[in-house]
Amino acid sequence: MKGFNTIAIHAGQSTDPAMPTMAPVYQSAAFTWENPEAMEDVFSGRSYGHLYSRISNPTVTLLEQKISSLENGIGAIAVSSGMSAIAVVMFTLTEAGDEIISSNALFGGTRTLFQNVFKKYNVKIHYYDNDHPEEIEKMINEKTRLIFTETIGNPRLDIPDFEKLAQIARKKNIPLIADSTISTPFLFQAKKHHVDIVLHSSTKYISGSGSTIGGVIVDTGNFNWQNFHFQKTAAKVHPDFLFLASARKNIFQNIGCALSPFNAWLNILGLDTLALRMEKHCKNAEILAQALTDFSPVKEVNFPGNKNNKYREAGIKYFNNRFGGLLTIKLSGKKECFNMIRKLKMVKNAANIGDSRTLIIHPASTIYYGFPEDEKLRCGVSDDLLRISAGLEDAEDIINDIKQAIFGG
Amino acid sequence: MKIVINGKETLIEKEQLSMRDLLVLQNVKMPEAVSVELNGEFLNRSEFASKTVKDNDVIEFLYFMGGGK
Repeated sequence: MKGFNTIAIHAGQSTDPAMPTMAPVYQSAAFTWENPEAMEDVFSGRSYGHLYSRISNPTVTLLEQKISSLENGIGAIAVSSGMSAIAVVMFTLTEAGDEIISSNALFGGTRTLFQNVFKKYNVKIHYYDNDHPEEIEKMINEKTRLIFTETIGNPRLDIPDFEKLAQIARKKNIPLIADSTISTPFLFQAKKHHVDIVLHSSTKYISGSGSTIGGVIVDTGNFNWQNFHFQKTAAKVHPDFLFLASARKNIFQNIGCALSPFNAWLNILGLDTLALRMEKHCKNAEILAQALTDFSPVKEVNFPGNKNNKYREAGIKYFNNRFGGLLTIKLSGKKECFNMIRKLKMVKNAANIGDSRTLIIHPASTIYYGFPEDEKLRCGVSDDLLRISAGLEDAEDIINDIKQAIFGG
Repeated sequence: MKIVINGKETLIEKEQLSMRDLLVLQNVKMPEAVSVELNGEFLNRSEFASKTVKDNDVIEFLYFMGGGK
């Protein structure tokens, strides 16, 4: 199987005896075994099987196989949310006293996780600007455990120079971690672009429809983990799966962030149409960005695909001439932003992206509420900014709704 | 040849075969996620095709997907 759609639809092994075309939801907390010896073999890792859905579940495993195949990875772990995915990677790769280096234009939730949770456990976070990746080299020391970036910064919509990031990371033997939620494996081939661990909040474009919460971690197989500081058990037994074994056995199954079987099923359902939807999300965002440029109350339109956008070339290079489904606009101020949102009739005011519906949010008063001003600015957030997630409606209807909200009485 | 797989004596109707072929022959579940120990040494996956399984070899198939340590 080579084509993206074919892999998304057919990858993974379905072993259900009824042979359904669509994977079933194994909605069960535990799985029975015919004798204690067989169960002992699974517990000891000598046989493959499912015991308890906090540890593994056939529906969740199928999702993991599909996403890993789409990323051309060596394996995946599906978790309860995108935030869980980041937390599991961080807990796996860092210990108290360690340091990480992260891009500064982060989704607010990720930044809060780093600041509120990992600082508490004495993990130091250095922030660099994706426009100046050379800053990273000055931040690296013997305690640096990973470099973290988003493939498209949310909501600054910056796109990193992955060649440069990988060059720095390789030189120092540090894994490069990328959150590809906004690009998805359809736009961004993480393995090809030197990413070592790729993460997704599958809540967004992967599941589509805004129907569920989920996250996925994929080891692309690029990084040699042999010299990394993992617990010895995993390192000795699973030489090819050092990261995955350590993440799954030491962190994931102990902190209890399993993805529910039904949520995994919704993600699997979403994968069937991911490519079709991404094409439409990207196209609608492009049309919308163009249309909004002509609206006089809109002071600025930020969309990586715009001709004058400094990330356009990166989008062409990394995302196969696509630019994602997000854009931001600036009005005169917070009051104008709130007035516009209030007048929208179809576009929804909601804290999500990747939904079939077009969604809008005022980031400064929501996701970034309480953030210091300088941090907001680094993330590209200001009082006059609105983030729009282009949905799958007809572009003309989205434009007309926003037009009446901006110009209407 | 006679080999031991996960503690059980197993007869294989071949004089020798590669580890990759043994995984297929034994119909090992989730072969993309299995780790293999041959006579006390864990193999890298890149060795599966070239490593030969011989008479009296002791082999362990191990998964990190289950519940144990």
